[in-house]
Amino acid sequence: MTRPRVAAALFLLLAVGCKKPVKPGDPIPGLTAEQLARFNRGKEVFDSVFTPHTGLGPLFNSTACEVEVHATAFKGGMCDPLVQEGGPVIQLHTTPALKAALGIDREPFPPSANARASRTTPVVFARGLLDLVPDSAILAYADSEDRNHDGVHGRPNRSLDGRIGRFGRKAFVPTLAEFNAGAFVAEMGITNPAQPTEENIGGKPIPPGVDSTADPEIRQEELDLTDDFVRFLADPTPTKLTRDGRRGRDLFSKIGCTSCHFPTLRSGASPIAALNRREFFAYTDLLLHDMGPDLEDICLGLAGPADFRTEPLLGLRDIQHFLHDGRAATLDQAIELHGGEGAGARDRFKALPTADRAAVVAFLKSL
Amino acid sequence: MLRRTRIAALCAILLTPLAISGPAGNRTQSAAQPAPSYTYRGTVHAVNASTGTLDLITGVGMSLRLVHMSAGPAVHTSAPTAGLRMADVKPGYIVTVEWHRTSAGLVVDRIEKLEAPAR
Repeated sequence: MTRPRVAAALFLLLAVGCKKPVKPGDPIPGLTAEQLARFNRGKEVFDSVFTPHTGLGPLFNSTACEVEVHATAFKGGMCDPLVQEGGPVIQLHTTPALKAALGIDREPFPPSANARASRTTPVVFARGLLDLVPDSAILAYADSEDRNHDGVHGRPNRSLDGRIGRFGRKAFVPTLAEFNAGAFVAEMGITNPAQPTEENIGGKPIPPGVDSTADPEIRQEELDLTDDFVRFLADPTPTKLTRDGRRGRDLFSKIGCTSCHFPTLRSGASPIAALNRREFFAYTDLLLHDMGPDLEDICLGLAGPADFRTEPLLGLRDIQHFLHDGRAATLDQAIELHGGEGAGARDRFKALPTADRAAVVAFLKSL
Repeated sequence: MLRRTRIAALCAILLTPLAISGPAGNRTQSAAQPAPSYTYRGTVHAVNASTGTLDLITGVGMSLRLVHMSAGPAVHTSAPTAGLRMADVKPGYIVTVEWHRTSAGLVVDRIEKLEAPAR
């Protein structure tokens, strides 16, 4: 970790130590009364349970958290996100009307797909701040040629139209607004003004009469409120570290984890004072890294099957399953499953004495 | 009598909003109202100026679509360099498309060619 980064992290630790702790799910401190009211109204929309009469489906994933399925095709070094076959998100449920019309109880797996992936529900803390990290900062962190010879060569992903991505496990989505609007449709089949058309089913339109709710199924106001709720969700204050936790934090840096999990990022300019030019703990560089063949699944944009965006380490204290698909039951396992560019740090972690490994985990559980 | 008239008037005032509104899904677009306009950003997949059709690959988050649109000669076009015509639109162009919905499908109102983001 470079000196300026260490200084920024230490300064932030001092600043955080002097303020009232922010709990997971709290709004970001410093919002105006009007912004706080929008956060609360947005939470109501976010927590809504949709039904077919209010726009759910006809294809959807569960309204509760569950592992979902993605599929793409990777051929000759090119990634096909299968837009002609319904896109990469495979919905696992159908409404009764669609089941009656087509006899299916989930979206058919696209015939052209040659890879599939499972995904857990992402943590949504600090997304408003991550949205504001300037593209120039992300590009400055990139080292696709590994010029510093540390075995780590982060590179940005790009959306279909060439913008720098930052959201999603493969950093395919450029903005938070698009991530939120897309989630309404991809996860719940709720069309909205940003994505007012329903998905096709294996390339064929939805049968007439199956989806009687007029598109878009929610209004811009509901979309904006939901967006504000997610945008204003705070980065939780790390819990107070024990002596072991402090040692674990130092070891986390010493063994090279911070080559990708950068401790702090800085948001760019924003008209929302609480988000404007703020240094925050993120533990990500928002770049893609090759994580080795054991974690390979789908491609997406410029991300090959083994490429994943460095996961921001936020809210770890409440997570039960780790990595993009939840395959790791503990933080130790999650670290040990790192391969590719993460192999060096993983091996150094594995070589630590048991007490030091526990200290690293204690630190991570403070996040 | 006067009291009955007043009650009827009060009921009418209170119930009228309920009678003319309803769940969003059941509302129909008034013939007098223009259809709402939407904007897609995406990459031109195919274009046929003679049949007036445009296929656009667009993505909002993880919700990706190949949308088929009608694009007649009256479509307003613009580009960073002036002089783009519908016939000049080519597959691979990155564009924003303003469109509205009709009973026959999606109709393009305006296409703007965007500069590809720097790599």
